[in-house]
Amino acid sequence: MKKCTIIGKTNVGKTLFLINFAGYLGLKFLDISLCDDKKILKKYKLSINQAIYELVNDQTHKTRCLQSIIVDVPMGKGKKKLQLIDTVGLIDGIHSNIEIRKAISHTLTIVRVSDIILHIVDAASAGRDELPSSMGEVDYQLAQFAQLKRGYAILANKMDLPDAKEGLDKIKSEFSGNLIIPISALHKKGFKEVRTFVAHNI
Amino acid sequence: MINNINYQKNNPHKVMQLLIDGQIKTIDALNMLCEIEKCNNTSLKSEDDGQLEDVMKELDELVGQIKVKQLVRELQAFVEIQKKREEEQLLTEPQVLHMIFKGNPGTGKTTVARLLGKMFKHMNILQKGHTIEVERADMVGEYIGHTAQKTREQIKRALGGILFIDEAYSLARGGEKDFGKEAIDTLVKAMEDHKDNLIVILAGYKDEMERFLQVNPGLRSRFPIIMDFNDYTINELIQIAELMVKNREYKFLPSTLDKLEKILINHHNGKYYDKMGNARLVRNIIEKAIRMQAVRLINEKTISREDLIYLKPEDISYINIE
Repeated sequence: MKKCTIIGKTNVGKTLFLINFAGYLGLKFLDISLCDDKKILKKYKLSINQAIYELVNDQTHKTRCLQSIIVDVPMGKGKKKLQLIDTVGLIDGIHSNIEIRKAISHTLTIVRVSDIILHIVDAASAGRDELPSSMGEVDYQLAQFAQLKRGYAILANKMDLPDAKEGLDKIKSEFSGNLIIPISALHKKGFKEVRTFVAHNI
Repeated sequence: MINNINYQKNNPHKVMQLLIDGQIKTIDALNMLCEIEKCNNTSLKSEDDGQLEDVMKELDELVGQIKVKQLVRELQAFVEIQKKREEEQLLTEPQVLHMIFKGNPGTGKTTVARLLGKMFKHMNILQKGHTIEVERADMVGEYIGHTAQKTREQIKRALGGILFIDEAYSLARGGEKDFGKEAIDTLVKAMEDHKDNLIVILAGYKDEMERFLQVNPGLRSRFPIIMDFNDYTINELIQIAELMVKNREYKFLPSTLDKLEKILINHHNGKYYDKMGNARLVRNIIEKAIRMQAVRLINEKTISREDLIYLKPEDISYINIE
């Protein structure tokens, strides 16, 4: 089974994208498994709404370990299974909490072995640099690294917010040469393009 | 500390440990991983180059067939230089690499074809470099129109590699009304259509192939490379035998070798020698000897390691081909 990793800075909407994208692909309930770098810690089942309620909020580092679900991606006349992995938000500097440092290291390990990398950038705050989710050095470095892989796309998230248009332009100029898909994880906008990209790379 | 980090940055696990310990930033870790990935990519490429050498080494390890080896080296040099000329934007010869292999069975035609496939793959002439071996029955159909379809199917399988047609002369066996002609026509068409991604090799006995080319004069110009596979001499056959037992982790006693030589000379003078398959004959003799050794040993009470390794003269016998 191919691995698709969702990655980005903290608070850009990785988990919300995971949940809503899984819903877009037709899942009603999510079988989420949590794992650290050695084993699966916990498995549980949530409906889409429950998942959004429990897993998403506007604190930084809400997600503290890797959570993955398995989805069917329609391919031609058939379907193919894909593991979608939601990761811990990356930060520019060194985090003071060892748990989060461990989780970030695990995230990078997973990125190295994934077939598809969806790099989420917050378009609404791309022009500003004071928010934790604003584009930072780590995004540039991540793009440098992920470019070496075949299935790499940048998802410009939060396109529903004001200022997002300018943000998108900035992202386009900063990351030119990469595939950039504008989406709104909240309103499920742009998911069709993401699905096409994912299906193309399985 | 910095030295320490420099030393550790080639190992992804160490990088992760540094990250967990809070000694480096996420950006630095990503930067290091990026370098590692790039290194891996380039080292993969150089491994490929090594493989071309491996193929050439494999070629050198073949016993005898000096002329064939020489021709293969010529081809390799030709293709390589044409590529260089192209880079300098000089005129290049079109690379028509379809071939005819002439020789008796068991002289290494298939082996060389497979090696060529691998070689051309490493030189980026062929995409996949696999060898599809077919014969008349795989290409010629039973009713009108069936042949073109069957032939095209085989060609499709071979795209990106080598289509090796064994006993190719049999395609022209049945005369004007035979469907074999249709197979040849389809083949010639396909060779034109896929000339960048397909190499066709026609193989067969020397005399029959000569006759085949006389009957189809147009083919000769389409297959510009002709390789003659000579019969092996007795000495070469013995070398092959020694190589075969070595690969199977057996050994000959000196007296066994003498007997083998006698048998081979006897076969050599026999009526059917050219149809008996040279190296294949040797393989059959050895495989039979291995079975005879097993029969000899199975009733013994104690079997030593040496017993298991050595083939004795009594294990070797003639192969009856009539």
